[in-house]
Amino acid sequence: MITPGSKYFFGLTGLSLIAAILYLVLVNPTDLGAVALFGLATSGALIGVMASFTRDGDVYTDEEAVAANAVAGPPSFWPIVFALGAALVLTGLATVSVVFILGIAVLIGGGVEWAIQNWADGASSDREFNEFARARAISAIEYPGLAAVGLGVIAFFFSRVVLAVSKEAGPIIFMVVAGAIFVIGVLIASKPFMKGAVTVVLAVLAVIALAGAGTFAALSGERHELAVAAEEDYYDASHRECGEEESEHYDHLANSSVSLRSAVTATIFVKDGKVYAEAIGMTKKVDTITIPRSNATSVMFRNLDEEKHRLVVNLGSAKVAETGVSEKVGTCTQLTGKNQEQVMTLKIPKPATEAEPYSFTVPGATGEIKLVVP
Amino acid sequence: MSHPDSPHSSEKAMDIVNNVKSSSHRIRNSIATIFGIGALAGCATNAPQDTWQPKGDNAQIINNLQWIVFPMAGVVGVLVFALAAYTFWKFNDRGQPIPSQSHGKPVVEIILTIIPALILTVVGVFTFRGIFELAETKDTEMIINVTGQQWWWEYDYPAQDDQGITQPIISSGQLVIPVGTKVLLRETSRDVIHSYWIPALNGKKDAVPGRINLLRLQADKPGLFAGQCTEFCGLSHANMRMEAIALSKEDFAKWVSNQQKAYTAPADGTLAKEGEGVFLNQCIRCHQVNGLKKVDGTPAIAAPDENVYSGAAPNLSHLMSRNTFAGAKFDLLNKKCRSDVWDASSETIGAKYLSGVSEPCLNATALRAWLRNAPAMKPMYADPAKLEISGGKYRGMPNLGLNETDIDKLVAYLLTLK
Repeated sequence: MITPGSKYFFGLTGLSLIAAILYLVLVNPTDLGAVALFGLATSGALIGVMASFTRDGDVYTDEEAVAANAVAGPPSFWPIVFALGAALVLTGLATVSVVFILGIAVLIGGGVEWAIQNWADGASSDREFNEFARARAISAIEYPGLAAVGLGVIAFFFSRVVLAVSKEAGPIIFMVVAGAIFVIGVLIASKPFMKGAVTVVLAVLAVIALAGAGTFAALSGERHELAVAAEEDYYDASHRECGEEESEHYDHLANSSVSLRSAVTATIFVKDGKVYAEAIGMTKKVDTITIPRSNATSVMFRNLDEEKHRLVVNLGSAKVAETGVSEKVGTCTQLTGKNQEQVMTLKIPKPATEAEPYSFTVPGATGEIKLVVP
Repeated sequence: MSHPDSPHSSEKAMDIVNNVKSSSHRIRNSIATIFGIGALAGCATNAPQDTWQPKGDNAQIINNLQWIVFPMAGVVGVLVFALAAYTFWKFNDRGQPIPSQSHGKPVVEIILTIIPALILTVVGVFTFRGIFELAETKDTEMIINVTGQQWWWEYDYPAQDDQGITQPIISSGQLVIPVGTKVLLRETSRDVIHSYWIPALNGKKDAVPGRINLLRLQADKPGLFAGQCTEFCGLSHANMRMEAIALSKEDFAKWVSNQQKAYTAPADGTLAKEGEGVFLNQCIRCHQVNGLKKVDGTPAIAAPDENVYSGAAPNLSHLMSRNTFAGAKFDLLNKKCRSDVWDASSETIGAKYLSGVSEPCLNATALRAWLRNAPAMKPMYADPAKLEISGGKYRGMPNLGLNETDIDKLVAYLLTLK
């Protein structure tokens, strides 16, 4: 039997075949496009046969379907959600991409819900059973989806709070909130016969409190040093000049993230005014660090002296395109206090010349580490 | 909804029975095929990537572990399959009444919990011990930086006076190590994730962009060991091979000495000298030959970062001291000379490997074909019309459009890079 669903796929198959033949003849006989179109035709035919074989996934005969649809389904608000998604998509196209992405999410969510609702409404003439069928089909998507949205909301509002308060207060708030959730969770678990409404009320109150605190924090703005750092563009690598620091408010650990720290090829130290280095896997101190060319490689700088130091890498010189004048090439870390670290990530495309070897130096300290790019 | 009492139900039932019979035939044939292939594969004598033939300490640790885990897993597997088969046969639905149901037996459940826990504990103890042994790097004697990119491996040896390496060495395709030495590979990648695996010497380790992963190798005897990238890395993943050559310490010292030799330009008026000119016109855009100078006497520095997506191309200094090219996919040695090296005993392999590639031994057919049209030899993203996605940069070597005369010259020149 050719079912309505299979007609669509058989139509797709026919059109794809025609398109594939036209593509072969008119465009390019060896191109991948024809293969893709033949693939589409094959897939369409396969799905069409499956749809026909399974009567479009409808377990009822035509007569039974008529009986099942004798009772109209309840009014559904999913078409409105779907329309809202479409509106957001169009608004997002004209404004900002976040709205567009949100619209796509709403469109997909509303569409899926609408389709499942529509399918369930025709499952039988029993509304209760239809609701059961809908829940059974959609719960596996709805609950994880809602959980993801919930987690996103929590993460967003909580992050606003942590960015607004001081660095010291952030972890304390985190611990207090986590502790409170744990204690309340234990209390709820120890009272298995507690009314569900109480749990719901507690959850709603918690969400309102979090949303309120997050909104207030977002309106108050980020804490002072983050605001200053953002204003001065301190997170941009080009800001790391080798001259005087422009601000005291930079994040001293900006380049010391766990991922970077765990993947440095070598560590350069300053101790008692002398520079030395250790490389991963080498038991002795090294005076040469070798890094592959054209590959981002990180080197850690650790200051063990009382006074502040910075690591400087000297990468020879190069002609400036505009002026034709040869200028020194290199970069450096920020000034680093005692027992502090900075990571320098280098990507060097060419080896050094004999006349201008590469090296690491620390102004104010003796010694240098040779840098070899083979 | 199906209706069992319909007039066609008996025909349908027969169809189902026939289908089941046909399915059982197919299943039986499939199982026989799978076991047949497994049995035949187990008979292979030339299996250079056999994980059951360790040739070094680290591979031996893995081998010891698999000799513990595999028999235990095998016994458990056979028991489970046998019990399941017995249950299917014994309690097959023949229309008998459903037996009385009970809610578990605590004694059986406790036993069936304790036994797997004990098995996992034993496996866990040996596994963790193996993991910690394999992760040991404190007693490393030598370091080699290994960088993966589509679709070849680069090896650079930092200066290490203890090993006689007084200046950095850079090579590709073949990793050369001294026997009985704890060698630490510091792996990373320039483009996508690759995985380094030479089964005879150790397990796999991913080479990840932006990270440095450590892998220890040690070979007991001189020999040649094959490997293969084991993380899907794009079009020519299957062609991203590697070979490790373990040399005696004396032979390794000779190899190091040769790698550190200064560049010698071909004599004027020779075909090789003309080949050097072709190299400077074409190949230097990506391939470095250390010490090579331009006509004006300044160093010829390759700029693969401007032409290749990964930012690197194999350094061809001392190319003819290697036995392979193009990511160890092709042999630089012809079939006879290659067999000579691969089949050599551990006593003689060093001398044979160190003799490099001479003109009579050169696999000129493959090398010339590669120079003529590299993408035809190894699938690569090298069609200039399709490089928009990689910012106009190649992934692999493009077709340089060299004519036969230029290829003659280049081959003559490359033969001088020993």
